[in-house]
Amino acid sequence: MISCQSFRANVKSREPEVLEHLRKCDACLEFAVASNPDHFFRAIGGEELEPPGGVEAFTAGVMSQVRLRHAEGSVARRFLIPPRRLAAAAAVIVAIAGGTLIWQRHEQPVLVAPAVVAKVVRPLVTKPVVETYQSQNATIVEMPSQGNNDANVVMIFDDSLPADL
Amino acid sequence: MAAELRLMIPTNESVEPDDRQLVRTIRSGDSDAFEQLVRRKTTKVYSLCYRIIGNAEDAKDISQLVFIKLWENLEKYDPTYAFDTWLYRMVTNVAIDFMRNKQSRDNAVNSNLRLVKTSADAEQGVVVQRKEIENVFNEVSSVLSPKQKTIFVMSEMDDLRSSEIAKILGCRESTVRNHLFNARKLMQQQLKRRFPEYSRLWEERQ
Repeated sequence: MISCQSFRANVKSREPEVLEHLRKCDACLEFAVASNPDHFFRAIGGEELEPPGGVEAFTAGVMSQVRLRHAEGSVARRFLIPPRRLAAAAAVIVAIAGGTLIWQRHEQPVLVAPAVVAKVVRPLVTKPVVETYQSQNATIVEMPSQGNNDANVVMIFDDSLPADL
Repeated sequence: MAAELRLMIPTNESVEPDDRQLVRTIRSGDSDAFEQLVRRKTTKVYSLCYRIIGNAEDAKDISQLVFIKLWENLEKYDPTYAFDTWLYRMVTNVAIDFMRNKQSRDNAVNSNLRLVKTSADAEQGVVVQRKEIENVFNEVSSVLSPKQKTIFVMSEMDDLRSSEIAKILGCRESTVRNHLFNARKLMQQQLKRRFPEYSRLWEERQ
């Protein structure tokens, strides 16, 4: 460290040896501050400070944090799929799905809507109407009526008459 | 002849690896090397944090955070640059972020609570003591922005040149000088207003 005399002679300077003297010599502090106001706050610099608890405790604290984070990271990594693998898998899935769609369009027969089965409507055929006929083989059966309001039922059996009469 | 012979005898003293070598070892997966790096840089990192933040416990927490970030981002370090520059950049980024958050919290709580010394105090004689300067600094520097304070601390207390500070903060040297000029001016004004007994020391001489 330079002497007080040389310090006082170079008090305006910012050379390392001047600053060192400023920070260590209490006898010159007031003179330095009075001569150079910028030295007022410079006087508390320079020295390296230790964190509360000391360097060893601080280092141990940092290392435990680092190990904890490292362990958390490795667990998380184990369960997480790496982004590259994820991207590759996604690309494969997209390719397969796309290919399937294209193949389906080209290869699959065109789907036709289910045909509506229309009922075959038969043309209405009027039953033959026989108003009068003559026959030698007809058998006529007349059901006996049971009163005045009762319908008179007559059955005619004849092979010459149409079946659906 | 004796001196020459002495030079040829291998010494048992182990040569400490430099920062870049340590980083290479850490990158290869050696956590003991990281522990060595933490031990080596603790006081440097803590001192800067403490001077920017002004509180020992907060500075300790922020320093720990810096080292954890360092561990997580060590792959990004480019060995063509000085390790300390990269480390300081990390410290300043984390500390400035912390200060910004703290400032907004403090402003919301007690914007008008400021310690102002009375003129009667100022009349009394003053003995300049380092501990007292530290308290004055913590009081007076509260008017600076986090960036101004960081630059002021690096320049006035860590004795870094403007060019080095510019490299750390990733800005122009002229920007650093500008911040420094404004910071000094604001500090002097505050000192005169709140601690006139100290500013009188140099005003009387002038």
